[in-house]
Amino acid sequence: MDTTVFSPAATTPAVHARSLTKVYGKGAAQVRALDALSVDFEAARFTAIMGPSGSGKSTLMHLLAGLDSATGGQAYIGATEVTGLTDRDLTLLRRTRVGFVFQQFNLLPMFTAAQNITLPLELAGQRVDRQWFGQLTTTLGLTDRLNHRPAEMSGGQQQRVAIARALIARPDVVFADEPTGNLDSRSGAQVLSFLRRSVRELGRTIIMVTHDPAAAAYADRVILLADGRIAGEITEPTPESVLAGLDALRSYEDAEATEVQF
Amino acid sequence: MLRLTLAQMRRSASRLAAAGVAIAIGAAFVAATLLAGDVITRATYDSIAARYAEADLVVAPPLHSTFSPNDLLTVADTQGVADSVGLTSVFLALSGEGRTVWQGALPLTSLTFMPLELSEGAWPQGASQIALPADTAERLNVSVGDTIGVDSWAIDTAESLRDELTVVGIVGDPLGAYTQTGGRAVMAADALTERAAAEGGRVAYTEILLMLADDARAADVRATLTTLLPEGTQVLTPHEHAAVVAATITDGQNVVFYVFVLSFAAIALMVAGLVISNTFQVLVAQRTKTLALLRAVGAGKRQVAFSVVLEATLLGVISSLIGVAVGAGLGQLALALASGGSGVAASLPTYIALTWQVVAIPVIAGLVVTLMAALVPARAATRVAPLAALRPEAAPTIEKGSAGRVRLVVSVLLMLAGFAALAGGAWLGTAQGDSRANAAMGLLAGITGGFLSFVGVALSGVFWMPLVIRLAGRLAGLTGPTARLAAANMQRNPRRSAATATALLIGVTLVTMMSTGAASARASMDAAFDSFYPIDMAIEAGTNEALPAEVMASIMGTAGVGNMAQVTNVIATIDVSARDYLTMTVAAVDPTAARAALNDTALVDGLTAGVIAFPSSVAAGWEVSSGDAITLRGPTGEVELTALVTGGQGLWTPIVTPDDLAAVGFSAAPNTLWLSLDSLSAIGRLHDVIADSNLPLASQGSALERAEYETVINTALGVVVGLLAVAVVIALIGVANTLSLSVLERRRESATLRAIGVTRGQLRGMLAVEGALIAGVGAVTGISLGLVYGWAGSLAALGVMGEVALSVPWRDVALVAMIALGAGLVASVAPGRSAVRPSPVAALGTE
Repeated sequence: MDTTVFSPAATTPAVHARSLTKVYGKGAAQVRALDALSVDFEAARFTAIMGPSGSGKSTLMHLLAGLDSATGGQAYIGATEVTGLTDRDLTLLRRTRVGFVFQQFNLLPMFTAAQNITLPLELAGQRVDRQWFGQLTTTLGLTDRLNHRPAEMSGGQQQRVAIARALIARPDVVFADEPTGNLDSRSGAQVLSFLRRSVRELGRTIIMVTHDPAAAAYADRVILLADGRIAGEITEPTPESVLAGLDALRSYEDAEATEVQF
Repeated sequence: MLRLTLAQMRRSASRLAAAGVAIAIGAAFVAATLLAGDVITRATYDSIAARYAEADLVVAPPLHSTFSPNDLLTVADTQGVADSVGLTSVFLALSGEGRTVWQGALPLTSLTFMPLELSEGAWPQGASQIALPADTAERLNVSVGDTIGVDSWAIDTAESLRDELTVVGIVGDPLGAYTQTGGRAVMAADALTERAAAEGGRVAYTEILLMLADDARAADVRATLTTLLPEGTQVLTPHEHAAVVAATITDGQNVVFYVFVLSFAAIALMVAGLVISNTFQVLVAQRTKTLALLRAVGAGKRQVAFSVVLEATLLGVISSLIGVAVGAGLGQLALALASGGSGVAASLPTYIALTWQVVAIPVIAGLVVTLMAALVPARAATRVAPLAALRPEAAPTIEKGSAGRVRLVVSVLLMLAGFAALAGGAWLGTAQGDSRANAAMGLLAGITGGFLSFVGVALSGVFWMPLVIRLAGRLAGLTGPTARLAAANMQRNPRRSAATATALLIGVTLVTMMSTGAASARASMDAAFDSFYPIDMAIEAGTNEALPAEVMASIMGTAGVGNMAQVTNVIATIDVSARDYLTMTVAAVDPTAARAALNDTALVDGLTAGVIAFPSSVAAGWEVSSGDAITLRGPTGEVELTALVTGGQGLWTPIVTPDDLAAVGFSAAPNTLWLSLDSLSAIGRLHDVIADSNLPLASQGSALERAEYETVINTALGVVVGLLAVAVVIALIGVANTLSLSVLERRRESATLRAIGVTRGQLRGMLAVEGALIAGVGAVTGISLGLVYGWAGSLAALGVMGEVALSVPWRDVALVAMIALGAGLVASVAPGRSAVRPSPVAALGTE
């Protein structure tokens, strides 16, 4: 971590949750997706959330990003309590302070790469910071793809455009949901190293949900989730240590883990 | 396969419903037309049959001829004929309370043959009694016991005579025998025949009705009469005869009616076809994955195509049936509302007749249109590769296919030929050859050209409409990111946006064309009317009288009178050349006052002291040309004037200034007033003023006549625009359909947009802009095209009447544009609601 360009004041975490609870369904069909979960995500760090399917990792991300409403507890982005905002305020929050990278890329097919990247600024009615735009596209290796439409780009390229789109407004935090899920391993590795570079070189905060130990190994820190609770944490992970952590999780809660299939 | 089709239809029910509404409207249109035509036929038949009342046989003359009184005697003398009467209608000019009404009258012989019934008073007897229909009595403001005047013109002296008749009865027409032809008064047969003969009219009978003696056989009498009467005579029972007459009338009228209204129904169905074609294309695109899966598990191309066609068939039949039900319901409702009325409406049947044609024809029409519209999408469905089932993301973008070179070539040829013919028609129409043949050729060329070019324009919409939409989108995009998003969205399915806008274009073009044509016609007719009828109303005291000042004051003070010019008409002698002189009426009027009161100011343009203005119509007759020296002679002297031939032609007197008239010794006291009227209601009031003055004042004017023409034009236009509006309504349904389909396709994208910071309002705004853009493009191109067609059509059709004034019906154009834009916005409301419903989380999920 000595390569960090920015040295953020490590007092307030970029994102944190306190007793965050989410319950789906009612009565017998009730599912406790998040069970009074508390967690901190530091700024300028790349954190991965891992866990088997149904462990609540996607739900956690949705609640942190203000995409879904919590049953109880609070989620904060910086000092803003996300869980208390109206739909409109949430939208404005997403527009300026949160970026998203999706598994399906979700670029708008009728726009070029450049147009897709600058869309959030356009929506917010802000000017594009040319220098930042140049830095982003250079870092992500997109300079010669800017006039292409999504249909003319590979999956890896599309995902890099999506990352640039997520970062263009310099959000407080970028949420990435299985960003490599639709990519082959080579493109996946590229995307992940770009994500890491944007944390190390550009000082962004990234929270990534994944079930791939190799992907998680690119992060600075891995949080393991099981049954809506934090089941472990690995700092400075390697693929091996993440796998070991997951294995430990499996043997720890055998019955449920075997039930879960992909 | 049927089960699968039904299951798919259930899933797409709401989308199919919108397309179904379009077809149902078209089918309802056709059904209502057929029902109305049938009602007209039956009403005609009933009223003709009613005319024969109780007669046993009707004797009809050979084609285009009538029976003479001798023929009537022959019939009466024929053995087996108990009683007979010749049917004739004599038209009388009846007057009462300053009003003259032309009224047909029937001779009264035996009551057996009388379809009218006495509702008040008694049947007329003798030469000076008459029974009137109730509404005529009302118009003349008389009741039983009052007297009315009847004017006639003696054949030999051409003198006008006025007799008095006493109204002894009021007749009703319960069977509706004459309600379609203005009703009939009744007079004693002899009196009426005499009256007709006195006017030089040969008494002629259109039909002879007869009653058989008790012991006579109809067949014998028929045979005898056929031999005795002129060749070609037909002897029929009343019902046979009514059927024949109704057929000849309705074959003419009804065919025109059917062609007229059904052509609008065809336009409505065509637009519905466009809407349906769009819907099916999108349905196929949406089902790409399902279709691919079917193909992968072994469904043949034909089975897939069959499924789409089957779906179209079901949709077509069901919605057409609904349309027929709606059309029949509306028809019955209209009849029920109308039958409460009087006059023509009273003779209408009480119920519509649901024949098999009324059901079958609209259903077949609706089905055919739906099937034709579904053919292209069905073919697209067969092109889905089984492989598509395996692709992770089935992006519904099948609309890449080229629009077809054949289509391009055909539509360009149609447009070239059509517009050339249209221009030729406009040129022929206005060409100064003033030959009627030219005008007819021009009209024909105009209609053909207009039709061909419009088909070309509609067909080629796929090619040029996307360009227009892109341009409009670029313009709209200047307003902000929401509009830019909307514009970009419309570019994704340019063909669909184009087809939707084209559907709207058709209706809007036709509506605009009609109102432009009517506005031009109105403006041109105004000019023509002004020239033919330069004075709204003239009140004359006679050449040797003078109008008292107080009468002029009360005329001027009458509400609705605009401007007044005091005119002195004198009989004067003018020398038109050294050797020739004329004695004729000369009008003297102050040019400024005349200009205010006349509709056609050309009559007095250039009139000053020392000038005598000849309307061109007068000048031509006497070979006067501008600059000729004319001598005006009066009681005390003469004055040399310069002739001026003006452009006016609606007046038959030369005009001079009052000073010049006074100079030759005429009294310049006004004896005539030229009035311009602000309101037609002034006419009645002016008649009252004239009557109150107790002077023998004569009034004449063209205001009423003119207003009647204008009413006819406006009514016809209203009907046509109303019929065309149906096509616009269907097209607007198409806009809503297209928008909601796009929304369904773009679920994930909408969610993505929401996730990256688009507010619900912005998302709704985006759809509103899309709706407004499609509707706006359709409306603007339609209006422009409609103006071109309206103008070209006016030139071709009205050129023969003289100068054509091309005008833009701004009010109608603005109304059409506003309705289209408003409907575009409204159409985006429901799709907008469903677009913002999914939470942004949907963007993150896989499928």
